[in-house]
Amino acid sequence: MCCISEEFVMFDKILIANRGEIAIRIIRACRELGIETVAVYSTADRQALHAQIADQAVCIGGPRSSDSYLNTRAILAACEITGAKAIHPGFGFLSENSRFVRLCDKCGIKWIGPNAAAMEAMGDKANAKIAMMKAGVPVVRGSEGVVKDMEEARAISADIGYPVLVKASAGGGGRGIRRADSEKELEAAVTAAKQEALQFFGNDDVYIEKFIVNPRHVEIQILADEQGNTVHLGERDCSCQRRNQKVLEESPSPIMTPELREKMGEAALRAARVYGYYNAGTVEFLVDKDLNFYFMEMNARIQVEHPVTEMATGIDLIKEQIRIAMGLPLSYRQEDISLTGHVIECRINAEDPKQGFRPCPGKVQSIHLPGGFGVRIDTAVYQGYEIPPYYDSMIAKLIVKGRDRSEAITKMKVALSEMLIEGIQTNIDFQLNLLRDKEFESGIFDIGFLNRKNLS
Amino acid sequence: MALEDLFKVVKDRFKEDKKIERKTDSVEIPKDLLFKCPRCGTIAYREDFLKNKQVCSSCGYHARIGYRERLAMTADADSFVEFDAGMTSLNPIDFPGYEEKVAALREKCGMNEAVVTGTCRIRGYKTVIGIMDSNFMMASMGSVVGEKITRAFEYATKNKMPVILFTASGGARMQEGIVSLMQMAKTSGAIARHNEAGQLYVTVMTDPTTGGVTASFASLGDIIIAEPKVLIGFAGRRVIQDTIRQQLPDDFQSAEFMLENGFADMIVDRKNMRSVLAKILKMHNYIKADKIPGKDEAV
Repeated sequence: MCCISEEFVMFDKILIANRGEIAIRIIRACRELGIETVAVYSTADRQALHAQIADQAVCIGGPRSSDSYLNTRAILAACEITGAKAIHPGFGFLSENSRFVRLCDKCGIKWIGPNAAAMEAMGDKANAKIAMMKAGVPVVRGSEGVVKDMEEARAISADIGYPVLVKASAGGGGRGIRRADSEKELEAAVTAAKQEALQFFGNDDVYIEKFIVNPRHVEIQILADEQGNTVHLGERDCSCQRRNQKVLEESPSPIMTPELREKMGEAALRAARVYGYYNAGTVEFLVDKDLNFYFMEMNARIQVEHPVTEMATGIDLIKEQIRIAMGLPLSYRQEDISLTGHVIECRINAEDPKQGFRPCPGKVQSIHLPGGFGVRIDTAVYQGYEIPPYYDSMIAKLIVKGRDRSEAITKMKVALSEMLIEGIQTNIDFQLNLLRDKEFESGIFDIGFLNRKNLS
Repeated sequence: MALEDLFKVVKDRFKEDKKIERKTDSVEIPKDLLFKCPRCGTIAYREDFLKNKQVCSSCGYHARIGYRERLAMTADADSFVEFDAGMTSLNPIDFPGYEEKVAALREKCGMNEAVVTGTCRIRGYKTVIGIMDSNFMMASMGSVVGEKITRAFEYATKNKMPVILFTASGGARMQEGIVSLMQMAKTSGAIARHNEAGQLYVTVMTDPTTGGVTASFASLGDIIIAEPKVLIGFAGRRVIQDTIRQQLPDDFQSAEFMLENGFADMIVDRKNMRSVLAKILKMHNYIKADKIPGKDEAV
């Protein structure tokens, strides 16, 4: 540890505004730091692990997320009654709700994450893109900001060349995006994207960019402290996606070279510095077949797949987040960070791949988890636990580390084979099929490859 | 063992490890951050509640608001010209402590009496307007309230103008005794002459409209509008129940009950009030005043 800043504030107690395995992950980090934890839970989560093992637990409302895990008033009240002076939001739920960040500020509660202004700036996709271009971060060619009318849309599309994507400026989660392969299709694409954007985001601003054919999804993890120091922790390749949902992540990316990593890492740090970003964040890039990379967006929170980076670098990202929020400077410089071996993470979901990946909540009759050298499991499921139907279907993350990709794949196969969950359907066999797939094994694939296959 | 207690031992083991003596921190939520609805108990951010024109987003409760806020959400900006701003009451029956009470309220509410009258434009349509403010002695009707309303109607009659009156009142002002009750007849007479002159009178009943006000000018509108769920009545619920010795329906004296029984013509949400009033004025052939650029929108 370097010197301690004058603004250093040790937290006694952190409230975790989340559930499931990420809440457990954060509770563990807090315990290691000697910090007390407050869990919040919905009435459907009385038996949930996070509510049981935290030092204190407060019920914040009914089963629906809007009544509980998104109920900011109840969460602030929970801080007040427990005296928790900091909130860790995890991912999803309130993690990117800048308004809540501002409310926490007003109540003197420290948000373990970036500041509201950076969050808002990142959320405005069209303007974020202009800012990235100015900062020298490569972006996909397209309109400079919002497209005013059809005439402009046609001119821009003709200039950058078809196929193009029409995207909602306020968009996210794959909503408000339409593809046009020719000028004939453009008007319909713009109209449809605008309609969906208005419906979901209350704002029909759209922008246009070149559609990158068969790219990979490669993201860079960054850490930045409140003193302005930044480091990147290498990449995660998240090209194994099913309908825009990540299924398996790995690091390093099979296509990565040390030169490309340095370039992408530098670009990610430039992106973070544009908005004075601090705490943990992820900069997502598309990489085309010629290894050109383009800024996609920045996620202003910890991510599901963060253990991949932790295993590759040996750095505990959650503890770093808390240390940064306490006002401590980064304890690593860029040259201290190195990636070793090969890490793979499989997301284990309570879903039935044979029935269109329909979620399968229910009671876990029996469970056996794998272990051994280089195997890590992050989960909140235990024997006898009933998975409620109200929340995300991800119930565990299985992470393995091998010396190289081939050893990691083998290790993952061994671990997955040992993993038994009775009582509910899971995607364990689907994950095994993916690991056995020749295209996956070759390492040469793109974000569309899982959608083109049937591994169920 | 219940599933809820299965992992208690985890907590216990961890506690054994803790050595550090902790100071207890406290978090204080600023008092003005939240609003609790008095009807349904829902807690909302005050900022959202104010943005929603002080209507509870959960149950639709229309909170009581002062005349300034009412004027701001009803009239075109800077269009209001007040009548009789300085008029204040005497103490006609020497009611003990009345002068002091009124003086204290003047100071606190920043207004001289429980009603404010004048002219304004609503989306360009010029009208006489009166707004009762329940913060001032529960907007009870004394000599000044009666006189200001009467004068407003006389002005409207003379100038061939409509009158829109936002009513709210606990009833006649007991501190002025019989003089208060006389205001019922006086205002009703002025309204009758305004009516004979062929001019429009619109009442908007807000929370609460009761007593002598309901029994006089509040119920005399050509069109009677009510805000949702507000209390409208003459005598109190318990008084009536004890007199007639019958159980009253749950929604007795609500705006909805009044509408169902023909005592109100329509219920209008606060967010639509301005446009509904403008439409009514338009339908009755009142002409838009000269537009002030950038201030008046089309109906």
